[in-house]
Amino acid sequence: MLGKKRKSIPKKYIVIALIVLLIIILVGFSLTLKDDRKLNPAESVIRDAVVFAEKVITYPFKYISKEVEEYNELKDTSRDNDILETSLDRIDSVETENIELRRQLDELKEELGIEHTLSDYEYLNATVVSRNVGFWYNTLTIDKGTYSGVAKDMVVINAKGLIGRVIRTTAFTSEIRLLTTSDTNNKISVHVSDGDTNLYGLINSYDYNKNLLEVEGISNTKSVNVGDYVYTSGLGGIFPSGILIGTVTEITTDSYDLAKIIKVTPSADFTDINYVSILKRKSDGE
Amino acid sequence: MLIAIIYLLFSFIMENIMGNIFLSTLSNISFFTTIYTVCALVVLLPYFANYKKYYILVGIFGLLFDIVYTGSFFLNFFIFIVIGVVINFLYHILSENIVMTNLISIVCIGLYHILSFFILSITNYADYSIMLLLKVILHSLIMTIIYTSISYLIIKWLYNRFSIRQVK
Repeated sequence: MLGKKRKSIPKKYIVIALIVLLIIILVGFSLTLKDDRKLNPAESVIRDAVVFAEKVITYPFKYISKEVEEYNELKDTSRDNDILETSLDRIDSVETENIELRRQLDELKEELGIEHTLSDYEYLNATVVSRNVGFWYNTLTIDKGTYSGVAKDMVVINAKGLIGRVIRTTAFTSEIRLLTTSDTNNKISVHVSDGDTNLYGLINSYDYNKNLLEVEGISNTKSVNVGDYVYTSGLGGIFPSGILIGTVTEITTDSYDLAKIIKVTPSADFTDINYVSILKRKSDGE
Repeated sequence: MLIAIIYLLFSFIMENIMGNIFLSTLSNISFFTTIYTVCALVVLLPYFANYKKYYILVGIFGLLFDIVYTGSFFLNFFIFIVIGVVINFLYHILSENIVMTNLISIVCIGLYHILSFFILSITNYADYSIMLLLKVILHSLIMTIIYTSISYLIIKWLYNRFSIRQVK
């Protein structure tokens, strides 16, 4: 025992081992931090159970805040009523026009043998149960999952426009990645419309300082005006077409003066999302 | 141990409740955001004589954070463990009082955001700027101090009132 000396590992090996471990961990994260990662059954069950418990616990808080909000809205009812009365007269004519257009669309579809267009979808309403915890993930959790027919990549909107898309589902919850994420992997195809012409581009990034989405890929020779509406184009296979994203706020050109860079103010208010609708695009295969 | 678990669970649920009250997005960060579970981990460490049990709790809540809130795989588990080690280290060099506990809390919340920011940026999950990171850390200060101070006083009172011993 006396002659035995405890061997100490040289410091440089410890440092190398730590670096290797760190690299392995980072590679592991880069493989798992993907929207297409499916939750395993254990994760799904735990998430459903905790979200359900949280829903029960947070119900009184939500109820009180909803009542306060409704009371505040009630104060503005008289003013809103006057505005609504003026637009009420137009509803009948718009509805008649809508019926006629739908009839024409159905006839054209029948003639061309198309069952569904890119703008056909079904609605499913849901409530937001948790939002952006941990801050960096920019996600919302809603109370509808695969049990209600929600699937990955379905589009989520609210009354004002596009919110994001479903990235993960469990039986009773779904996680939504918001549109306002500078996500380099997912570009959304959009069309910019002034009512007469349609131009196609891609949402490339999000400027969180100004709350503006950046659309690229529109030739500099084309004309775009501030105030033009930006919709989903339906190209790319995920988003149905015709969902309002926002309005054009700023127009600049790229460094080569070849393409326009269009800044778009999102129509949806991302700080105030309580209820959402999930859209399921009808496909010709259905 | 029971009080520690209840307090951690309460803080875990607070993430959701407060997230719904003080709405925060990338473009509009609330001044009242923090990571309540991390603050709870800071407040609780002095009540643990057995660090193994403490790290088990840290790991469990990191995993829960992954599963319930972020949908990530072991990312928050890793970050929480690192934060647990830092908390332990800081309590060894700093004395345990309300000011130092707040200081450790602020450091840990900063560390949480820095680690999340770098890991998410390196793995190409999202593209954020350093300015946003600084903004998030600054906006976390108020709520971190409020929650840590209140928690510190309540937990201390509970342990004294009921003469609860450290977790062994």
